[in-house]
Amino acid sequence: MRAGSKRKGASPLLALPALGLFAIFALVPMIVVVVLSFTYYNGISSPTFAGFANWSRFLHDSTTHHAIWLSLEIMVLSWLFQTPLALLLGVFVSGRQRYRAVLAAAYFVPLLFSAAAIAITWRNLLDPNFGLLANLTHRLHMSWFPTSWLGNPGLALYMMVFIISWQFIPFHMLLYQAGARQIPRSIYEAAEIDGAGRVGQFLHITLPLLRNTIVTSSVLILVGSLTYFDLVFIVTGGGPGFATRILPLDMYINGFERSDMGYASAISVVLVTAALGLSLLLIRVTGFGRFRSTHEGA
Amino acid sequence: MTRHTVMRLAIVMAIALAALTAAATAASKKPTLLLWTIQRTENSVETKAAKTYKPASVKVQIFANDPYKQKIKVALGSGKPPDMFMNWGGGGLKQYVDARKVLDLTPFLNADKAWKNRFFNNVLQTAAFKGKYYGIPNVGMQPVLLFYNKAVFRQNNLTPPKTWDELLSVVKALKTAGVTPFILGGQSKWPDLMWEEYLVDRVAGPQAFNAVVAGKKNAWMDKGIIKANTMLQQLVDAGAFGNNFSSTTYDGTVTATLLGTGKGAMELMGNWEYGAVLQNSPDTIKNHDLGWMPFPAIPGGKGNSKNIAGNTSNFYSVAAKSKHPAAAVQFLKKQVMSPAYVKGLIALGNIPPVKGIAKQLSTGANADFTTWCYKLVQSAPNYQHSWDQVLSPDAANTLLTNLDRLLLKQITPQQFSANMNKTK
Amino acid sequence: MRRLLHLNIPGALAGLVWLVIVALPVYWMVITSLRKQAGYLTADPIVPGRPTTAQYHRVIAVGFLSYLRNSAIVTFAVVSIVLVFALMASYAIVRGRGWIASGSFRLFLLGLAIPLQAAIIPIFFVVNKLHLYDTLPALIFPTAAFSIPISVLILVNFLRDVPTELFEAMKIDGASEWQMLWRLAAPLSRPALLTVGIFAALQAWNGFLFPLVLTQSSGTRVLPFALYDFQTQFGINVPAVLAAVVLTTLPVFALYLIGRRQLLGGLTAGFSR
Repeated sequence: MRAGSKRKGASPLLALPALGLFAIFALVPMIVVVVLSFTYYNGISSPTFAGFANWSRFLHDSTTHHAIWLSLEIMVLSWLFQTPLALLLGVFVSGRQRYRAVLAAAYFVPLLFSAAAIAITWRNLLDPNFGLLANLTHRLHMSWFPTSWLGNPGLALYMMVFIISWQFIPFHMLLYQAGARQIPRSIYEAAEIDGAGRVGQFLHITLPLLRNTIVTSSVLILVGSLTYFDLVFIVTGGGPGFATRILPLDMYINGFERSDMGYASAISVVLVTAALGLSLLLIRVTGFGRFRSTHEGA
Repeated sequence: MTRHTVMRLAIVMAIALAALTAAATAASKKPTLLLWTIQRTENSVETKAAKTYKPASVKVQIFANDPYKQKIKVALGSGKPPDMFMNWGGGGLKQYVDARKVLDLTPFLNADKAWKNRFFNNVLQTAAFKGKYYGIPNVGMQPVLLFYNKAVFRQNNLTPPKTWDELLSVVKALKTAGVTPFILGGQSKWPDLMWEEYLVDRVAGPQAFNAVVAGKKNAWMDKGIIKANTMLQQLVDAGAFGNNFSSTTYDGTVTATLLGTGKGAMELMGNWEYGAVLQNSPDTIKNHDLGWMPFPAIPGGKGNSKNIAGNTSNFYSVAAKSKHPAAAVQFLKKQVMSPAYVKGLIALGNIPPVKGIAKQLSTGANADFTTWCYKLVQSAPNYQHSWDQVLSPDAANTLLTNLDRLLLKQITPQQFSANMNKTK
Repeated sequence: MRRLLHLNIPGALAGLVWLVIVALPVYWMVITSLRKQAGYLTADPIVPGRPTTAQYHRVIAVGFLSYLRNSAIVTFAVVSIVLVFALMASYAIVRGRGWIASGSFRLFLLGLAIPLQAAIIPIFFVVNKLHLYDTLPALIFPTAAFSIPISVLILVNFLRDVPTELFEAMKIDGASEWQMLWRLAAPLSRPALLTVGIFAALQAWNGFLFPLVLTQSSGTRVLPFALYDFQTQFGINVPAVLAAVVLTTLPVFALYLIGRRQLLGGLTAGFSR
């Protein structure tokens, strides 16, 4: 695997520009954020030492606890919604039939939009007064039909899960398509001779052989849902009430809207730690080499 | 060799990037003043004042209302603020004054009494702290009143409600007719506050909120406040705000269009909504279908039914770090609330907070509305400045979130008061 | 042959349902962007009206082109920095030895796991301290920094498969490491560089959080943030808002038509986020 002898290696200085940039804008901030979490800092005046005040607030702030709970909820819901759909659709478009290739090309279109574009589109589509939904119910004289989907605290989170999935399912579909195409056709042919049906083939061949892809995709969904921000920020801003105020949003609102950067830093530290922990799991479970083969398959 | 090349490369990249940024900022001789304001109907007057000013080139940047509050905070904190910025006075401005980010205008105002005396003093006070002035009013006074669509009222044989009971029966009738009784931009949260301010005033009188401001213990637990919030939730239950209020934003176009097109019958909003209707639904004004009334009386309550709530005005302040403070002050003196500026505001339905314009108002373009507002303000025993501008930004944020949850019926009036009691 | 004969009917049906879910919003977005504001509310939302480009003109009239230019500058700068820096670093890691090479690789691996959303507050702090707030470099440097780890990973994997003999042969001819980097490693890694470049470009082009927090004025506004701004600026003029959405997506869409494989490859490269 490793390139053979390196008697006279290349100068390590070549790594410095990348390292420097990465250090200034990713590593140093990691230290800064820990320091800031022990200060009062409103973004206007200079930070002053606060001891454990922010951390003690973190232990008692019911809004933040609710945000953590919502983040976990959105994490699980995203996984439950995205994984089966992406898996089935990914395997479906891995077929070489022409109509499937055409469908696949259309399926991947959401990947071309920025999160901001997707958020703006859905926000307008679902606007209770001027959106597509409102327009349709008005035209069909269905005034009884609820139009305030994003304004309903019981529904808003599910709507966000749906919009998030609309954005990300194509990506995971792509992973599954690549994974499924690596399965040798001969295995299926052998199973067919043994009389295995379509469902049987899927359950006994495809699913077990896609195990690695499932793990990779799942961990990506789990880590990613911890840090969802753009979509929720633009579509609901965390509302109505606290209904979609997930942890990254709680951090943003505390930091930039309430000018409490010290407390927001404490939340930041928690987020980084959680994401690092989950990602280490990714490396542990899937292994580095597998990362590579999946990539080449794509 | 390697090191040199790396360095050379780094230098080239640095130069390239520097050139990129330098290209964006072109140099000119006249002082360039940057003015920040929010998106509003008065923008035309503001930009005209900037464009017609010769001694300096004044660039106006317009931001949407909701993100602006955060933008200006970050800009003042970062040390790269605009020279002049629009604000609401009160607790928000005080935060910047305390952090020494705002230029003290007192010496300039005292040096030119004619300038200082142009404005109503009680309006200037909203942007004054400890006897020092930090802001110059830049729009008309902004009382909150109840707008209604006359056509909708006609079609349903309704008359404008004068009391709470009348209001409830109007709500019921409109609800049956399938019209949203009150339009409310609940997603923006601050429109909720207008209801809160009026209900608390009518039920408990101005003293209830004054106790909060004075920092009295358990001020939020006032029985009147709890009663007012109970009534607010009863309105929600009665469907007074329709089903869409929690996902309707206020951005100066949405609610005005809903009101103008008769999708909703009434809206409690600042007087600027007149201009918004004029812009988004001009036919409503042309056909004299836009009506207005004071907030109804609540018999048995402690507040005078002539009391009003709203903003006294908005203000321009000069950033302490402005590179051309004198030029900025000069611009404010010459161009803001100048005769042309005042005329432009009146044409939009504004009531400028300057003295001696009663006659001008009565001959202006929208005289019936502006003179009515002028009388409303004049005869008001108490003019409550918006709570979220009076309180500290942190308390204001908590207030708006809790109001949102109150209207969603996620918390009870008692919980609301308990939550607010914890703020400072 | 047999597989073609028994067509997967339930699969195809489910596939069609998903097609509708994906295509309907996109279709609605495009036809609505071609409408006039007047009558938008009363028109049949599904049947296209008589197309007009009025909204596109309006979007361009409010500064779209300058935001486009800003986005192009940021994207170009990010891609350049990432390609050059990541290739140099990967070369040093693969061909070098000692603790710097292996240590920096491990550092980049760790960096993969830092979510930029969680780091936004300290980045805001650092950018302020460097006096970069509200400049395009404030967007360029952090975006590039967060694209570097995955880029290094991809390039290292690629370079490791290059036979050592090629380098040895060039060395015998008297080439320096610097020359080998640019004359051998760079051309050989072209496919990987393409993937990395596309990945970095999409990060820069689509990024929203950095512009939201690190810039403020219209002079430094980039497209995703401009979209957010248009929403409030245009208010109820939904067709204009959607015209802006379509315009910002066109370049990526064009890329998709030209090189679908390459674009999708670049997308999956970023799958650690």
